[in-house]
Amino acid sequence: MKITWNWLGEYVDLTGLTPEQVAEDLTSAGIPVEKMASMNLGVEGVVVGLIESVTPHPQADRLRVCHIDTGTKKLQIVTGATNVQAGQKVPVALVGAKLPEKHIELANFRGLSSEGMLCSASELGLDDKFLPKDQAEGIWIFPEDAPLGENVVEYLGLNDVVMELELTPNRSDCLSFRGVAYEVAALYSREVHMPDVDTSGVATVSDKPLSVRIDTALCTGYSGQVVTHLELGPSPMWMQMRLLAVGMRPINNLVDITNYVMFEWGQPLHAFDYDAIDNWEIVVRQAKDREVLRTLDSQDRELTSDVIVISDHMKGLGLAGVMGGENSEVRVTTTTVVIESAMFDPITTRRTSRLLQLRSEAALRFEKGLDPDAVLPALHRASMLMVQYAGGELVGAPVITGKALISPGAKQQILVRVVRVAEVLGYALAIEELEGFCRQLGLQTAREGAALSVTVPARRPDLLREEDMIEEFARLAGFDRIPSTNLEGVLSHGGLSKSQKLRRMARDYMRNQGFDEVWTYSFVDAAGHRKLNIADDHELARPMMLLNPLSEDRESLRTTMLLPLLDVARYNANRQWDALFVFEIGTVFLPDAKVVKKGVSAPVEKKMLAGVAYGSVAKEPLYAGRNFDFFDMKGIVEGLFGRLGIANLINFERAVYPYLHSGRSAEILAGEKPIGKLGQLRKEVAKAYDLPSEVLYFEVEIDAMVELASPHLYVAELPRFPQVERDLAVVVNRNLPVADLFGTVKEAAGSLLESVTVFDVYTGDHVGQEEKSVALRLVFRAPNRTLTENEVQLAVDQVLLQLHSNYGAILRK
Amino acid sequence: MREQLLALQEQALVDLAEAEGNALDAWRVQYLGKKGALSLALRSMSKLSAEERPIVGQVANAVRETLEAAFASKFAEWEGKQAAKQEEKETIDITLPGRTRSVGAEHPLQKIIRRIEDIFIGFGFTVEEGPEVEWDYYNFEALNLPKDHPARDMQDTFYLSEELLMRTHTSPVQARTLEKRRPEWPIRIIVPGRVYRRDDDDATHSHAFTQVEGLVVGKGVRMSDLKGILLTFAKELFGENQEIRLRPSFFPFTEPSAEMDIRCIYCGGDGCSTCKHTGWIEVLGCGMVHPRVLEMGGYDPEEVTGFAFGMGVERIAMLLYKIEDIRQFYQNDLRLLKQFASLPE
Ligand SMILES: [Zn+2]
Repeated sequence: MKITWNWLGEYVDLTGLTPEQVAEDLTSAGIPVEKMASMNLGVEGVVVGLIESVTPHPQADRLRVCHIDTGTKKLQIVTGATNVQAGQKVPVALVGAKLPEKHIELANFRGLSSEGMLCSASELGLDDKFLPKDQAEGIWIFPEDAPLGENVVEYLGLNDVVMELELTPNRSDCLSFRGVAYEVAALYSREVHMPDVDTSGVATVSDKPLSVRIDTALCTGYSGQVVTHLELGPSPMWMQMRLLAVGMRPINNLVDITNYVMFEWGQPLHAFDYDAIDNWEIVVRQAKDREVLRTLDSQDRELTSDVIVISDHMKGLGLAGVMGGENSEVRVTTTTVVIESAMFDPITTRRTSRLLQLRSEAALRFEKGLDPDAVLPALHRASMLMVQYAGGELVGAPVITGKALISPGAKQQILVRVVRVAEVLGYALAIEELEGFCRQLGLQTAREGAALSVTVPARRPDLLREEDMIEEFARLAGFDRIPSTNLEGVLSHGGLSKSQKLRRMARDYMRNQGFDEVWTYSFVDAAGHRKLNIADDHELARPMMLLNPLSEDRESLRTTMLLPLLDVARYNANRQWDALFVFEIGTVFLPDAKVVKKGVSAPVEKKMLAGVAYGSVAKEPLYAGRNFDFFDMKGIVEGLFGRLGIANLINFERAVYPYLHSGRSAEILAGEKPIGKLGQLRKEVAKAYDLPSEVLYFEVEIDAMVELASPHLYVAELPRFPQVERDLAVVVNRNLPVADLFGTVKEAAGSLLESVTVFDVYTGDHVGQEEKSVALRLVFRAPNRTLTENEVQLAVDQVLLQLHSNYGAILRK
Repeated sequence: MREQLLALQEQALVDLAEAEGNALDAWRVQYLGKKGALSLALRSMSKLSAEERPIVGQVANAVRETLEAAFASKFAEWEGKQAAKQEEKETIDITLPGRTRSVGAEHPLQKIIRRIEDIFIGFGFTVEEGPEVEWDYYNFEALNLPKDHPARDMQDTFYLSEELLMRTHTSPVQARTLEKRRPEWPIRIIVPGRVYRRDDDDATHSHAFTQVEGLVVGKGVRMSDLKGILLTFAKELFGENQEIRLRPSFFPFTEPSAEMDIRCIYCGGDGCSTCKHTGWIEVLGCGMVHPRVLEMGGYDPEEVTGFAFGMGVERIAMLLYKIEDIRQFYQNDLRLLKQFASLPE
C-alpha cells in the first residue's frame, strides 16, 4: 500500500510531524514503511505554457519551432516532439531550469535559438508506466484548464512524499488512507477527520428508477446510486497525480473517482453504464455453470457457480468485486451511471480472482474483508465527487439492500483483564494507561472491575479477542518497554534424542574419514532414474510427484540419495576435482500405500547416510599411487558400524543393483533386514555423469542403525590365559566368498575359537585356474585354563574336515 | 711393576687415540681382554711379595678403570660419529608436503544448526523433528490458518495432493508436539528442519531452506521471558555485546507477534548497505502462542501460556559467513565447502 504525505494530511493533522518521524514510528508500531521517496526528483523552474503556434524548422525536417506563452513571457522553443499542436498547454522548462537529469540552458538548433524545453512526463521524473501511451511517448499535454504560468511543481503537487507500507495480512484496515489515518492518529493522540459525506443537501432528480435484488448469500450488502447528466472527461490533475503516486492508472473522471474513493475509504466501487442495465434492475447472483461473461479486458470468461455475478435479468454485467463486464463499461457516450458499493464474500472473491488471474486493487480489498461502516460513506463520497468533478446530478436516494447494511450486527465487545495483560507481557500496565491507548485507537471502553470492556468498530476486524487487544497495548506502549526476564518454574532437561546423537556421531565420523558434508535439494527430475539405469517400473522410479512444480528438473521427491550426490560429483568433477569424498545425511521419500488418510497417503520419509567417492587415496600427488576402491569404502562403512558397536550384527552380501557394478556391489544387512547398499558405480553411469570409471557409493538407513545401536557399553573381562594361534592356507573355488569360510570355521571350531581373520588371498600359478588359496589365522583361547596342544589340534581338525566337506577345501602345503 | 703398569697405561691411551671402528675392538682385546696386556701384567703379580701385592693391585685396578673409562668414552664418541653419518645418509627434504589425513568439512548450515541446538540444549530444550511432507491440517489449520485464509498467501506452497504438501515452515511440529504431549507441560523444544516455498531460486530465495523453530509452553510463560531468552541466544550466537529489539509483526499462530532485530554485525549500528542503513538486521519472527493454537492442541490458554520463535538458518549463515547467494548452500562447490573444514565456530 502506497500513501502520500499530503493526501494523508487531509484526514489527520500532521502539523509538527515529518515524514521521516512518522515512517519510523509506524515501523516500530508494526506497520513497516518499506520505502520513502520524494515525488519531486529535482524539478525547478518549469511552468505551464500555452503553445501559440507550431511551425516546421526551416533547416531541419525533424524539428519544430513552437511559440510559447508562459503568461509573463513569449518564448521560442525548438522541439523534436511530434505530438505538439497550437492551443495545447504543456510543461515548459525555462532557461536555467533544473530537471532530474538535465539542466536547461539557452540553446541553438540549426540557426534558431531555443529559449527552454518542452518536457515529457519522464523528464519531469514521473513514472510514466501508468500514463496513456500517447502521453508517455511525447511531450506531456496538460488539460485545457491548467493555469497558465503556474509552476508545475505546484500544479502537479510534486512537493509530496510517497511512502510504501508493507502491511501484514491482519492489517487490511490500513489498505486505505482512512485506516492509516487512524493508525497515525493513535500514535500521536490526534483526531481523524473524514470528508463530509452527507448527501442530504444535494439536489436530486428522480426520473431514472433502479432496483436491486440479492439472490445469493455470498453478498451481504449492496448499495447503488444513480448519477446522471455526467460529462465524461479527464479527472482534475491533482486527482490524477494522487492516483499515479499510489500506483493507479488515471482513466477518466468517473473511473478515477471510484478509485480515489477506494483508496480513501478502503471500499472498492464500480460504475456501470446505467443504460446497459435491462429494465434498470440489478440482480446479484451466483453464475450458472459454464456461463460466459466478456470482461472489460475483452476476454470471454467461462464461469462456475462459485462466482458471484452482477446481472440484470437478461445478462451478466460484471464479476462481483473482480472486474466489470464489457457490456456495461463506462464509455464516451455514457451520461448516466450506477455507482456500486457492496460487500461480497471474501473467500469467493479471492477464489475468483485467483482462478481468473485477475489481481486488482479492488479484489485485494474484497478478499481481505471490508468494513461495513464504510460502504455507504464511500458511495456518498463518490456520488458527491461526480457531482463536483463530472457535472453529475444524483437521481433519487441510493438503493440500499442486504443484511449487513440494513441491520448490521452488534459491535464486537472484548473484555480485557488488567492482570492478564501483565501475565502475557511480563510487565504491568495500569488500567488508566489501557484506557488511554483505547482512546488513541478510537475504541470505546467501559470499566468492569479490574477489566475493560472494549467496543471495537467494524474498521478493525483483526481485533477479536483479549490477546489482540494486548498486542495493541504492547505496540502502543512500545515493545521496548517489555523487560527481559528468565523463564520460571520447573527445570527441564535438554538434550538430543538417540537418533540425533547418532547422526551427529556419524557426521563427525565421516568428516574424520576425510568426507566433506554436502546438502542437496530434495526435488529431482522424475525421469532421473533413467540416468541410473533404473527401469521405469522399479520402485525407485515411482516417486511422489508435486502438483505444482516450478520446473521439470525439480518435479518429484527423491527416492535415492544417489541422484543428487552424483550431481554434486559431476559439478565438482567439472571443476577439476580429480578426487572427491562427500557424504550427506538426507531424507528420501518413498511412496507408501499403507498409511492412507483422506484418500491420500503420505510417503515414508527415511533419513539416509550416503556417500560418494572417487580418486586417489592420498591427497598429495607426490604420494598418489592407489585409487579409493571398494574395500576403502567398505572399510569406512565397517568402521562406522564399529564406532556404533554394531559391527558384529552386520553382514555384507553380494547383490545386484541396476546402477552398481554387478561384481562389486553388496547389500548391507542387519540379520535378514536390508539396511543399506555399497558398491562401485557401473561404468556407463559414471560416464553419463562425466566421472572417472571407479566411483564408490554407499547408503545406510539412519533409523536402522539407531535400532541396532545399544545404549550401553559393557566392558568384557580381560583374558587371563594365553591365546594359541594356528594359520591355515586352504585351496577352494575361486568364487567362494571368504565370509562363507568364516561362517564354517566359526561353526566347526566350537567355543574355543576366539577369532578368525584372513591374511592372504592367492590366485596364480601355484593353484588351479578355478582355485584360490585363502590363508586364515585362527585364534583359540579358553577363559579358564591354558589350552593344550591336543585340544587345539582337535578343533583345527574339525575345521578342516568341515571346510573340506562343505567346499572341497584342501589344506595347502 | 708399578712403573711397568703406568707405562702400559700410557701406551694404551696413545693407541686408543688412534683407534677407530674395528681397531677399537682390537684395542679392547689387546689391553683389556682376558689375555690382554693388563691381565698378563696382573698374572705376574703372583711373583710379588705380600706387602707389594696390594699396592700394585691398587695401581692395576686404577689403570683398568682408567682404560675402561677411556674406552667407553672413545667408543661412545665413535658411535656418535657413526650415527651422525648414518643420519646424514638418511636425511630427507622436510619441506616436502606431509601425507595428510584431511578432515572433511562440516556443511555451513549444519554448523549453524549445531550451534543453535547446543545453545538451546543448554537452556534445557530438547530437539524435536517432524516430517517434511505434511498434512494441510498441521501445516496450516492447527496453526490458526484455516483454508482460504489470506495469510496463506504469505507462503506459496508445493502440493502433492489437496491435503498433502511440502511443509512451508517447521511450525507444524509445534502442533504435533502439543498434540503428543498434552496435557503435560512444560514444553521446551527447538525444531530444526528443511522447509519448502514455491519461490523461484535466486540470490535471496530458495525453494528449499532451513528453519529452526522454538516452542515453550508452561505455567506463567511471559513475553518478557521470550525477550530474555532471545537476548541470551543472540549474545551466544552473535557475540557478547549483541543487542536485540522487538518490533510488532503478524503471524497467524502468535499473538502478540514480533520480529526480532539484532544490531547490525557489520557496522555495529552505524548503518551500512547490509542493514539498509537502519543499524538493525531482522533475523527472527516470534510471539506468544496464539490461544487458538493452544486450544486446538488440547491446552487451556487460561492455564498455560507459551511463546514460539522461528528463524531462517540460511539467513544467519549468510550474515555470519558473508555468503551473498543462498544457492551456494545447495550448490556444494567444494571450493566453498572445504573452507568450513577449518573455519572457527
Ligand atoms: Zn549495518
